[in-house]
Amino acid sequence: MKDVRRQKSRLKFLLQDWRLYSMMLIPIVWYLVFCYKPMYGLIIAFQKYNIFGGIAGSDYIGFENFRFVFEMRDFSIALVNTLWLNFLDLIFGFPMPIILAIMLNEMRLIKLKKMSQTMLYLPHFLSWVIIGGMVLEIFSPTTGLINATLLKTGLVSGNVPFLTDGHLWRFTYVLVGVWQSMGWGTILYLAAITGLDMNLFEAAQIDGANKLQQIWHVTLPGIRSTIVVLLIMNIGRMMSIGFDRPYIIGNTLVQDYCDVISTFVYRAGIINGQVARATAIGMFQSVVGLVLITIANTVSRMFDEQGIW
Amino acid sequence: MKKLLVLVLALCMLLSVMPALSLAEDYAITLRVEMYDRSIAGFNVEDCWQLHYIQENFGDPNGIKVEWVPASRWSEGEVLSRWLQGGTAPDICMTYGTDLLQQYIDQGGVRPLDELLEEYGQDLTDFLGASVLQYGQFDTGSGLQQYYLPARRIIVATQSMYIREDWLEELGMEVPENVEELHDYLLAAKDANLGGERTIPYSSDLYAADPFYGWIYQMDSFIDYDQITEEDWVAYAEMHYLLPGAKEAIRWMNTFYNEGLVTDYFGIGNSEQTDADRVLGLDGFWVGNWDVAWRMEYMYQQELSKNVEGGKWLACDAFKAVDGPTLHETYTAAGQAIFIPATTDDETAIAAIKYLNWMASPEALYALQNGEMGHTYTTVDDNGIPTDLKNIADVEDAYKIHATDGAPICNGYYYGSDELNYAASANGYPGYTEEVAHSLVVSNTGAYEPITFTRTIQSRVDYGTTISSKEGELLVQAVTCAPDAFDTVWDEYVNAILTSGGQQIIDEQREAYAEGAYRGFYPMAD
Repeated sequence: MKDVRRQKSRLKFLLQDWRLYSMMLIPIVWYLVFCYKPMYGLIIAFQKYNIFGGIAGSDYIGFENFRFVFEMRDFSIALVNTLWLNFLDLIFGFPMPIILAIMLNEMRLIKLKKMSQTMLYLPHFLSWVIIGGMVLEIFSPTTGLINATLLKTGLVSGNVPFLTDGHLWRFTYVLVGVWQSMGWGTILYLAAITGLDMNLFEAAQIDGANKLQQIWHVTLPGIRSTIVVLLIMNIGRMMSIGFDRPYIIGNTLVQDYCDVISTFVYRAGIINGQVARATAIGMFQSVVGLVLITIANTVSRMFDEQGIW
Repeated sequence: MKKLLVLVLALCMLLSVMPALSLAEDYAITLRVEMYDRSIAGFNVEDCWQLHYIQENFGDPNGIKVEWVPASRWSEGEVLSRWLQGGTAPDICMTYGTDLLQQYIDQGGVRPLDELLEEYGQDLTDFLGASVLQYGQFDTGSGLQQYYLPARRIIVATQSMYIREDWLEELGMEVPENVEELHDYLLAAKDANLGGERTIPYSSDLYAADPFYGWIYQMDSFIDYDQITEEDWVAYAEMHYLLPGAKEAIRWMNTFYNEGLVTDYFGIGNSEQTDADRVLGLDGFWVGNWDVAWRMEYMYQQELSKNVEGGKWLACDAFKAVDGPTLHETYTAAGQAIFIPATTDDETAIAAIKYLNWMASPEALYALQNGEMGHTYTTVDDNGIPTDLKNIADVEDAYKIHATDGAPICNGYYYGSDELNYAASANGYPGYTEEVAHSLVVSNTGAYEPITFTRTIQSRVDYGTTISSKEGELLVQAVTCAPDAFDTVWDEYVNAILTSGGQQIIDEQREAYAEGAYRGFYPMAD
């Protein structure tokens, strides 16, 4: 009896706000078409795929594609590099937007604040190809801005190998990445900070807390859940890495440091038409990503934080 | 009201059916042909002079409606693969990606052409000739069959080495003939700072897609031919750096690099900087395609002349073997591949071969390559060769043509004989005819065609791209390491290549040699 009533009231809600619910159809359809339907294509990871035969006309070969890829010498290098670069990004790239958001929030001159925000967002809209060109202009040996300056002023006797020494290249990679994304990353945190109760700050002030103490005891705890959610999502992405950034900033001299899964897939799967193997790697990445995100979420809930589900 | 609606709907239906009906009356067959779209302003590949010419002279007399289907030149491989997967490929397809095409052949997506050619393609077969056609023949298990038609490549020369003639004069030196003389020249150029403070005696930039491409002349000069056999030559096809002696060429480069004679951003792949340095006159020596110094797209010489008074590039071979043969690898005589997908029906496939066969006739080819007199050119010489072919940008839109794309069976201008073709090709470099002709002679000396295979080398498919990226590593690491570390570095990266699938490729190519499943010959065979 109670159930029926609840169902009725649900239906009522649905009918009452049908316009809002129907708007949800768009993202639902988007997910179905672009995320769920393509999953059917994962079948080819287990096939000797013939593009003319399609999925129905190709032979099933079990885990042969996976075995082939895992046995390739470059795969383990690419896997390790992916984790390395993502880990460095997490360590250096993750806290930056938080720090930046707090700094922006403390700015008193509204005009200056708006201007800084806009300027910080800008790099996010630059294509990696353009950033790649800038990186060459700035970090190149001899002719690059930094090396040319250092050499002219006599601070160094030889070029600093920003792009050609593996370890320094990682530094360059992370630096450029942080520069490109930190501004954009502040948006969520700024929104969260804006949502904080001003009374808390006033109360802290009355208690004699200085700015730093206010940040530590009010702002940071206030945006803690946002931080945790973003951290979990970042950990879930540990296995996947964008293609453009390592591909464009990398070069042959540091191949052993810049070759990551996406560039590996491009080289060993896409260029030479081995779509089944590329699919196998993609599936492997997704599965590991799913495992990682589940672990992160579980750990977060164990510490009494909110998870993402 | 209802009646009116019915009437309107009926009319609509009639109108929509009518064009189809009228088309069906005029043409029995619609032939769809892939055409590269190079995004040239004012040139619409679906409606252009060449297409109209074809329709008038081939289509209408044969009752065939010819349509050109645009495919972006820069992503033709992806476009083609999408078409083939969806079964919507045009009836005549073309591609420069012959590796992928070979996979399509193995997967049964390409129509064999032997019978069609015999019946409908006599002129085409004659024009291409056996030496070109062989590159489209593969054995997929039932003997050699013609799966695609390779374009006839008029000029097979690949590269030249370029040296600054004005620098040589300034230094009072002769054109270097071997690597030691080159070394002297590079050192002298550096000492005299001939290109200013940032003089780059030997400018070199990594070509990541095929790292050893720019090194093949140098390496071939150092190979110890006494130690290898014809079998090795085939087994190590495209991997000459593994042949005995070849690494000495790279060791020289390492020496140059460590003496500060080579571009210091070598390996980073900064071709824009390389180009800028070149036209500013900083470079003293470089290796590039045989005509690239004067090619209109790059204007290296033209720009250099503006920036440096008297600055002049001269083609030379500074890596001649001291005691032994000097060999120059060429391209194969085959250009891009033209094929008919398996999905095209018999009737249309016949029309497709007729189309290409008609194109091989001298008049049609001449018209398609040169366009219309008075628009793309105004005068011809005694041999009927246009003397003032205009750049496509300078032609009125309605008369714009693209010679190679519109007449895909021929890669380069064809005027009836090798002699005329070479003479005509030099016309394409106004003001530098002699220099270009000289470069062609240098490049063609000791020419040999590379080895290719008539069956799929499966390990190439599996590991080829990996190997080529490793080759890039081998090259840049070996060139940039300290001189005493050279051998260690070389062995380390060679080992990486062999264990990443390189050994499988060599073994499989050796098998193919035993089967006789290869084309080309060993230039040092007695």
